[in-house]
Amino acid sequence: MGASPLVAYPTDALRQHDPFKRQPLSTNTSANGTPLLPGPGRAQQAPKSLDNLEQMNEDEKRKYVKGKKLGEGTYANVYLGHSRSDPTFKVAIKKIKVQKEYQDGLPPDAVRELKYLKELHHPNIISLISVFSSKDQNLNLVLELLPLGDLEMLIRDVERVSYGAADIKAWMGMLTRAVWFCHDNFVLHRDIKPNNLLIAADGEVKLADFGLARSFADPGHKMTSNVITRWYRPPELLFGARHYSGAVDIWSVGMVFAELIIRNPYLPGNTEVEQISLICRQIGTPTEENWPGVTQLKEYTVPSQVFPVQKKDAYMARFGSVGVEGVDLLAKTLILNPKNRITARQMLEHKWWHMDPKPTRKEDLPRKSGSEADEKAANDLKRRAGQVGEEPDRGSRVARKLDFGAAR
Amino acid sequence: MATEDARYRESSQFKQWSFSHSQLAALREDTNAKAVSSISERLSERLVSGTGAPSGATSLPPSNNASNANTPDPEGSSPSLPEFLTAAEESTLVTFYVSELLRAGDHAEFSDEIKATAAVLFRRFYITNSIMTYPPQEMLIVALFFGCKAEGAFPRISDFLKTFQREHPEEILAGEFLLFRGVRFSIDVKHPFRALRGAAMELRSLGDIDSKRIDDAERRARQILRFSPLMTDAYFHYTPSQIMMAALSLADRGLAERLIQATFHYVQPQTESEANTPAASGTSGGDGQRSKPPTEDQATIVGSYIRDRVLGTVEACRDLLHKELPERREHWADRKMYKAHILPLRKKLNKCHDPDRWNLVELQRQTREQAAKKADSDDEGAGGGGRKSVDDDAAVFGGDLSGPAATKRRKVGQVKLEDPFGGAL
Repeated sequence: MGASPLVAYPTDALRQHDPFKRQPLSTNTSANGTPLLPGPGRAQQAPKSLDNLEQMNEDEKRKYVKGKKLGEGTYANVYLGHSRSDPTFKVAIKKIKVQKEYQDGLPPDAVRELKYLKELHHPNIISLISVFSSKDQNLNLVLELLPLGDLEMLIRDVERVSYGAADIKAWMGMLTRAVWFCHDNFVLHRDIKPNNLLIAADGEVKLADFGLARSFADPGHKMTSNVITRWYRPPELLFGARHYSGAVDIWSVGMVFAELIIRNPYLPGNTEVEQISLICRQIGTPTEENWPGVTQLKEYTVPSQVFPVQKKDAYMARFGSVGVEGVDLLAKTLILNPKNRITARQMLEHKWWHMDPKPTRKEDLPRKSGSEADEKAANDLKRRAGQVGEEPDRGSRVARKLDFGAAR
Repeated sequence: MATEDARYRESSQFKQWSFSHSQLAALREDTNAKAVSSISERLSERLVSGTGAPSGATSLPPSNNASNANTPDPEGSSPSLPEFLTAAEESTLVTFYVSELLRAGDHAEFSDEIKATAAVLFRRFYITNSIMTYPPQEMLIVALFFGCKAEGAFPRISDFLKTFQREHPEEILAGEFLLFRGVRFSIDVKHPFRALRGAAMELRSLGDIDSKRIDDAERRARQILRFSPLMTDAYFHYTPSQIMMAALSLADRGLAERLIQATFHYVQPQTESEANTPAASGTSGGDGQRSKPPTEDQATIVGSYIRDRVLGTVEACRDLLHKELPERREHWADRKMYKAHILPLRKKLNKCHDPDRWNLVELQRQTREQAAKKADSDDEGAGGGGRKSVDDDAAVFGGDLSGPAATKRRKVGQVKLEDPFGGAL
């Protein structure tokens, strides 16, 4: 009910929502939301006798011009595109492929991604501008174009890209706000990692790829533990927990934080078993003492040698470049027991943000430019959720086969 | 994003699918009028060309038509057109089919959320699409299937077919995309169920109310929420919390009023961290663990003016829900009622439906055919590189991974491709 209990009825109902202030695109609905009849000239190439639905789709489709293909992937192809009425208005068009192997209709990734992108409007979350379907009944998502690649690119390019604590603070701030916003809207992202953090032309970092996202479950409702790319997957999921919270995303945020500092994946396990053992060695072995109940989790197995939970000075030695407060924040994201792990909101209230150095202004952040970034961003958009990029020789690290039927 | 209301106003449920009464009525009239005109056109074409409709249903003996008084036929030139459903008749049928949908959902033992989401999607679909254009009996099953997906459950089509005793996956899949598009891709439906749990918790925390009374009210209110808002236009006119309060009020008016009183006499706590808004105010069914609105907002909601508006709105919603109390389930399933009120409409529908769109499987087939002719031109000039993708899909989705050797082979092949990403399992 909140502050003003009477809902003012929206006047643009049924109009495609455009998250941008700038509206170069004409709409095909009248002020009260009534779909207008096709105007002259608009339907000239469309087959005759379209109904409402078909006409609205045709109109939406005609607003954009599909340009060159930026990338082709397993789940989608990504094209550069622009508005027909304003060619300077560039977009990315993500065309979801019909998947021969998924016999059960519209694929889960597409359903999830559309469901959440349609609702989440935030400067640090990729904007969905429009959706239309092409002739062959493929979904096309019109997304804001994020032309400067992703965080993974910057992290990996040690030779050409150098950055410092102020830059890390800026990037982490944007990531944390995105995650807070998701959680505040009861959405778990479940696939946070550097190559899902895309960079806009102005340097703003945006969380993308909601193909594994879901809403918070009701208490007692089971979810699948088979989410989040392995290196970024928290111990509770590795142990097969079926009830979990936003804490799973926070662990991933912590892993990204660590990776930004050391410029290498912090815990790059090649298998789940190895992932668990890396966590035990680097962070500490989850035990009944530091995490009451953990041994009851279905897939709880840890190496026989028990490692104590790391003290702050161990983290200082490795991550000290972000300062004492930065390390404190990092350590709190890596608390083994998810109940004690810091929340996104608490992260935003942490002292670190107010310490020197101040976060870099987004315009001044280090960046790469050119086609390399374009390509990388396209590859990120088209990748299937749960996959890690690059270095195929490092072994398989895609999330385990996703069993969508078993749990939600 | 300070308040719950601000948050709700960002939702597609509000932005795209909330209407005033007159807006909604106008939309339905418009949809009905367009359907009548386009179906008339299509039927006339067929009658003129003499090919007849593919199913016998659309070709009518002229004698039957002569008696149709309100055939929209301004020129009087097409006497053989059937009588069409009015917007009001369409609404009645939609409501009837929602009752069928809910019964089917019970049969399949879906969760409250899945059934409610399916019902809302079905209703949304038939605001801008006429029941004469797309077959409701098929679409209700489609809505249940897609409702599962919207709620994050991804059922196997084979299981689904078994549950509803259908044979061909196409029967359901053909309509899925149509539905998704028909609801403008807005599938995040916000329900009042969690809000009700919050309200009950809030009432218990007041400490002086008999807990059996609260339990009874919660149970009754839940019963109402499972039926009444879905059988009416409640989701189009009210927020989830308003619907919840209305249902609670129908269950136990005293408790609902008490809750409103308690909410609007909410005293600002001293410390920030303790200041959770009561879950009862959650538009999306909050869990009570959320940020505090700024002080000014808090001050405005305590005012009696706002409280009276809340009471007025809840009262109006209450009246709406009252028309379809859960006891009406029997009414809608009653054979006599069916014969008297529904069957005549269905008979009418049988004659006036869209000849080109009624058969979803056929429609799908034609669409695909057209697309194939077009030869997927928008993918041309793409350059190779994606041929491997099908295998990758299999790697993630397919059941039959043929062991580690195959996986390795796939991986090796992939290194050469432009896409170095999707690794093997």
